[in-house]
Amino acid sequence: MVTNTHPTLPEFDLIRPVTLAEASEFLSQHTSNARPFLGGTDIFVRMRDGYIKPQFLVDIKHLDGTNEMNFDPQKGLVIGAAVSMNRVIYSQDVGENYPLLVEACRSVASYQLRSRATIVGNICNASPAGDTIGACMALNGMLHIHGLQGSRLEPVDGFFLGPGKTTLKAGDIVTGISFPLPPQGCAGTYLKLGRNKLGDLSLVGVTVLGNNDTRKQSEFHFRIILTSVAPIPLRAKDAETYLSTHEVNYETIRQAACIASEMSTPIDDVRGSARYRKSMVKYLTETAITAVWKKLQK
Amino acid sequence: MAFHEIVVTVNRNREQLAVPSNMTLMRMLREVLALTGTKNGCSAGECGACTVLMNGEPVNSCMVLAAECDGAEIITVEGLAGDKQLDPIQDAIIQAGGVQCGFCTPGVLISSRALLNRNPDPSEDEIKEALVGNLCRCTGYARIIEAVKEAAKIEKEKV
Amino acid sequence: MEKSNTQKVQSPVGESKPRIDAFEKVCGAALYADDIQFGNKLLHARIKRSPYPHASIKKIDTSRARALPGVKAIVTGEDFPGFIGLYLKDRHFFCRDRVRYVGDPVAGVAAISEEIAEKAVDLIEVEYEVLEPVLDPEYGASPQAPLIHPDLHKYVVANFIFPQPGSNISNHFKMRKGNVETVWKNCKAIIERKYCIPHIQHVPIEPHVAIAKVDESGEVTLWDSSQSPFAQRDLIAETLGITQSKMRVIAPLVGGGFGSKAGVSMESLAVAIATKVKGYPVKLRLTREEEFYTAFVRQGLVAYFKMGCDESGKILAMENTFYWDGGAYTEYGVNITRAAGYSCTGPYEVPNVKADSYCVYTNHPVGGPMRGFGMPELHAGLEQCIDELALKMGMDTVEFRHRNCLKEGSILPTGGKMHPTGLSECLEKTAEAIDWGKKALSSAPNKRRGKGIALMWKAPAMPGNAGSSALVELAEDGMLTLGVGCQDIGQGAFTVAAQMAAATFGVPYESVRLATPVDTRYSPYEWQTVASRITWSTGNAIIKAAQDARKQVLDLIAEAWNENPEDLDIVNGNVVSYKSEREIHVKDFAVKGLPKPDGKGWMGGPIIGRGSFMPTDVTGLDAETGQGEHAVVHFTTGAQAVDLEVDLNTGKVEILKAVAAFDVGKAINPDLVKAQMEGGLVQGISSALFECLQLKDGYVQNPSFVDYRIATSADIPRSMQTIIVEVPQEDGPWGARGIGEHSMVPTIPAIANAIYDAIGIRFEGPPFTAEKIYLAMLEAGIIKE
Repeated sequence: MVTNTHPTLPEFDLIRPVTLAEASEFLSQHTSNARPFLGGTDIFVRMRDGYIKPQFLVDIKHLDGTNEMNFDPQKGLVIGAAVSMNRVIYSQDVGENYPLLVEACRSVASYQLRSRATIVGNICNASPAGDTIGACMALNGMLHIHGLQGSRLEPVDGFFLGPGKTTLKAGDIVTGISFPLPPQGCAGTYLKLGRNKLGDLSLVGVTVLGNNDTRKQSEFHFRIILTSVAPIPLRAKDAETYLSTHEVNYETIRQAACIASEMSTPIDDVRGSARYRKSMVKYLTETAITAVWKKLQK
Repeated sequence: MAFHEIVVTVNRNREQLAVPSNMTLMRMLREVLALTGTKNGCSAGECGACTVLMNGEPVNSCMVLAAECDGAEIITVEGLAGDKQLDPIQDAIIQAGGVQCGFCTPGVLISSRALLNRNPDPSEDEIKEALVGNLCRCTGYARIIEAVKEAAKIEKEKV
Repeated sequence: MEKSNTQKVQSPVGESKPRIDAFEKVCGAALYADDIQFGNKLLHARIKRSPYPHASIKKIDTSRARALPGVKAIVTGEDFPGFIGLYLKDRHFFCRDRVRYVGDPVAGVAAISEEIAEKAVDLIEVEYEVLEPVLDPEYGASPQAPLIHPDLHKYVVANFIFPQPGSNISNHFKMRKGNVETVWKNCKAIIERKYCIPHIQHVPIEPHVAIAKVDESGEVTLWDSSQSPFAQRDLIAETLGITQSKMRVIAPLVGGGFGSKAGVSMESLAVAIATKVKGYPVKLRLTREEEFYTAFVRQGLVAYFKMGCDESGKILAMENTFYWDGGAYTEYGVNITRAAGYSCTGPYEVPNVKADSYCVYTNHPVGGPMRGFGMPELHAGLEQCIDELALKMGMDTVEFRHRNCLKEGSILPTGGKMHPTGLSECLEKTAEAIDWGKKALSSAPNKRRGKGIALMWKAPAMPGNAGSSALVELAEDGMLTLGVGCQDIGQGAFTVAAQMAAATFGVPYESVRLATPVDTRYSPYEWQTVASRITWSTGNAIIKAAQDARKQVLDLIAEAWNENPEDLDIVNGNVVSYKSEREIHVKDFAVKGLPKPDGKGWMGGPIIGRGSFMPTDVTGLDAETGQGEHAVVHFTTGAQAVDLEVDLNTGKVEILKAVAAFDVGKAINPDLVKAQMEGGLVQGISSALFECLQLKDGYVQNPSFVDYRIATSADIPRSMQTIIVEVPQEDGPWGARGIGEHSMVPTIPAIANAIYDAIGIRFEGPPFTAEKIYLAMLEAGIIKE
C-alpha cells in the first residue's frame, strides 16, 4: 500500500502531434518516458498513484482517422482509437451488427467514464480484467497499428503477453480496431460478476459468441473468452473444441464450462478468492453458453 | 512543464487561458475559474462529484486535462439554470428531498441532465444505471431517482 | 389597513418544509471548506506519514526538504509536545517518539504548491526501528501483547473512562447487575456466540479539508469541514497552549460527516503547520486514499454473547464481552466502548447482566465515532442471538421480541426506568409492513427467499453536560436570523432549526434565515454535531431563544398598546391582539423600536433572544457495576425488516423490500425524518453487503473506491418503506428525539436474520459478500458445484 498518495497529477508535458508519423517518431525517440494516451481513464489513475511516471503524454485522439467509426455492410466495422465507448454503445450500426460489443462496453464503469474510455485504450491497458477485450477477441478484432515501419494489422487474440504487457513496440500507436462482419446469425453475451450490481471491475468475466456452423461436428461454433481469471484474457479453446465436437446439450455445455473453469488460473486478491472465481467461471460460462445456444436455436 | 493556450466556453462564457499540461479540467474550473460547484471527491474518476458536461456529454472532470478542452463547451452545475429559473431537474431534486449534504448533488444533477437529454423518458433501471457513477452517501438514492422521474414528467408535459 | 388573518395558522413544525439550504446546493453556490478562496498567499500542506504500523522514531532529517525552493515550513513532533484528545489525551499533533499506525503523521510541510509540498515530503528522511505490531484486540488486551502506549497511566482522562495502566486497555466498562452465574441453571435455552465486525469507513463524499492561519498576535483561525467547531476550538487551543478565545473555527457546509468529522483529527495538523508561517493560510486536504486509512474509521469489534431465557421465553440473563479494536489512538473511541457497555443488552429488559466492554489499542487506523457510535456493531451480533434464542425456544422471533423488549417503565440495564417508548409499535408496524409470518415465494428456482427483523436502541452518547445555545435576532424586514453552533452535515439540522424558531416565535418558516457559516467567534456555543442530539438539544435552546425574543416583542407591544401580554400573539410575523384586534408587523419596530405613546422619546430597541440548554439530570455510573440512576438523556428505539433473496448460483443477495420504523417522538419535518431512515438504511445495507476495510499486517489493502465498494444507485432495495412512530419525549422540543444515526443500527442483523431464514446459515460477521455466502453454501451442502 502506498503511504503517500498524491492529490494531483504529477508534472508531465502533453504532446499533441498533428500527424501519425510525428507521433510515432516522438514515441520512438522517448521509449522510456513517453506514452500515448486516449481517454486517460486508466493512465491518470496510475500516474496519480505513482505507479508510472511518464515525462510525456502523447495525445493521439486527433490523429488521422482515430476519431472515426465506419460500418461497411460488405467489410465490417472500423472503430478509431479515440472513439468513446458511449459512441460505440449509441451507434445504430454497432447495435444492429455487433450487439456483443455494445453489451461489453455498457458493462464498463459508469456512463461518464465511458464518455472518455475507449475500446482501444481498454485493450492497450492489457488488464486481465478489461471488459471489452472478450468481445473484441470473439469478434475477431484486428488492431490497426502504426509503427515506425508503417502500418500493420494484428489480431487482438495474441496481443497480450502479461498484465499490462502487449506486443506493441517502441513507436507503435494503435490507431483503431476493425471487425470483420460477424458470423451469419451469430449470437453472443458478456456475463460479468462484480461485487456490487453495476460499476465494479469484474471478478470474473465470460464472453461467449456462438454461431451455427455446419463445418463443425456439432454444427455449432462457440468462442469463449474468460477475463479476470488468468494473467491475460483467456481464450478457452479446449472448451470451444469440446462443444464443436460434441452434440450441444445441457450436459455438454456443463462439461464445457468445467473445462473452461479448469483452464482458468485465477489468483486471490482484495476483490475475491481464486476458489470463488473458479466456481464462478464454471457457472457464468455455463449460463452464457446456454443463453447463446438458446438464441441460436430460435 | 509545458503550458497550453486554450479557448474554452464555460457556462456560455468564452475563456482564454494558459494551462499547464497536468492541470485537470476539474482544477481548471475550481482553481482558475473559481467555479467551485464542481466538487473534488476522489480525483480518480470513481465518485462522480466532479461530473460536468463536455460538448454535451457528462465526463469526470478530474479525468480530463484542461489542455484537451481547447474549443470545447463545458457546462457545470453553475450553468444548469437559465437566467430566471432552475432547470427542471434542479427543481425536482429539491421537491423530492434528494439533497442532503449536497456534495454529490452537482454531479448528480449533471448526470441526470445528460440522461434526460439523451432519453427523455427513462425507466427506473435506466436512471439507476445512469447514476451508477455518482456516489451518494446520504440519501440512499431513492429520492434522487424520484427526482429524475419527476423532471422527465415535467419536461414531457412542457413539450 | 387590511387585517391579516388572526386565525391560528398552521405551525411549521410537523410540516415537510423544503430544505433551507437546497437552493444554494442545487445551484453549486453552496460553500464547502475547499471552496473558500484565499488568494495567492495560500500555502499547501502535505503530511509525511508512517510506513509502519508500529515503530519507534530514531531520527528525522528534514534538511533536504527544507532546502527545496518553495517550501515555507516543516514541522515535526519536536515542535508540539502537547497531548490532544476528547475523552483521553493520548495523541500528539505529530508523532514524537513512535508511530502507531500506517499513516501516522510524522512531519508536515507547507509549500507554495501541493506539488512542491509532495516533493518535500519525499525528501524528509525518517529512520525507524520497527516494533512488533498489535493487530488483534483480544491479543492486544492480553498481558503478552507489547504495549502501544506505555505512558497510558500518565494520560489525562475523563472521569467516566477507566484505562488499565500497564496494558493496551484504554477503557474497561463493567456492568454487574443481578447475578448471572446463578441464573443460567434456570434457563430453558441458552445461546452462546462470537461475532466479529470488521472496520469500515464513513466515506463522506467530501474528503477532510482544513485551512489554518495564525496571525502575528498568535490568534488562530481554522476553516474546515467540521461537525465540531467548538470542540476543535477547545481542544486545539489547549494543546497549543493558547486560550480558547484566541482560537477561531469557521465551519462552512459539511459534505457528509457520519462522525468522521467530529472531534479533532487532521485539522490540528493544518493548525500546527500554520503556526510556523504566520500570516499565511495553509490548506491541508486529504486524498481519498488518506481518507480511508488516516481519517477516523469505525472500530472493529470481537463480541462474545451469552444469553438465556426461561420456559416462557423471558430473557433472564446476558453475559457479553466486547473487545474493541480501537486502533492507534482511542481518545474518542473510549466513549464508544462505554456506550456499547451501558447499551449492551439491546432494547430488552434483562434482570441479570454481566458485561465487559474493552477498548483495546491496536496498530490499526484510528477508531472514531461513526453513525451509531458502537450500536450497529453491537446489535449486529446481539440481534442474531435474539433470533437464535427465540428459534431455539420454538417461538416466533417477533413474538419473542415483543415479550422481552423495553416498554415504558421497564428496568434498564443500568438501573432506572425506561421512559415512554414506541418500540413495540415500531416492531408491530415493521412486521406488518414486511408481511411477517407469510413465507413468500422465490422469484426463480435458483433463488432462496427469506425475511429478517431486528430491533435497536441508542442514546446520545455524550458527557452529561453537553450544552447547546441559540440566538434569535430580528432584522428591519421582519426576517428572523437564527444563530446556532450546530452544523448541517446533510441531516437537515438547519432546516429543522428554522422550523422550530419559526413555530416558536410566530413567523412563517420562509421568514427565518440561519446565521451561517458557523463561526465560533459569532455563533452561540454547541458541544458537537454528533449523537443525533441536535434536534433535541439545540432544539430546546432554539425554543428558549425564540421565546425570549417573543417575550421582548410582546412586552413591548403590550406596553405600547396598554394591553396585557397574555392577550397578544405573533402570527405570521404580525403581533395581534385578540382583545383589541389591533395588529402590527414585527418589521415595524424590530430594530428601531416604537415612539412612546405620548410622542416623547422611544421605547423598545433591537430584539435579540437568547437560549441555552444543557441536560442537568444525567448521573454517573458506578465503575464496578455500571449502575446509575439516569445514565443517558433518552433512547431512540426502532425496528427494521428486510425481505431478500439469495442467488444459489452466485451467492448474491438482493434486497427486495426493506422497512424501517423509528420512534422519533415527534417528526419536526417528516420528510427529513424519512430521508434519514432511507439514507441510513442504504448505508446499513452497504455495510452489511459490501463494506470492509481489508487490513493485512496493519495495512489497509483497499483504500480506494475501486476496491472499497459502497452501495450505488443500482444496489438499493427494490422498495423501501419508512414508518414514523411518535411517542413524545417529555423533554424534547414538541416531544422530538434524534433519528440521524439510528437508521443504520439494526440493518446488519435484519439482513443476517433474513439470510438465515433463506439458507439456514449464519456468518461470524459482515460483509455478507456473494463470495462468502456462496462458499458457505457449498460447505453446508446446500449447493453443489
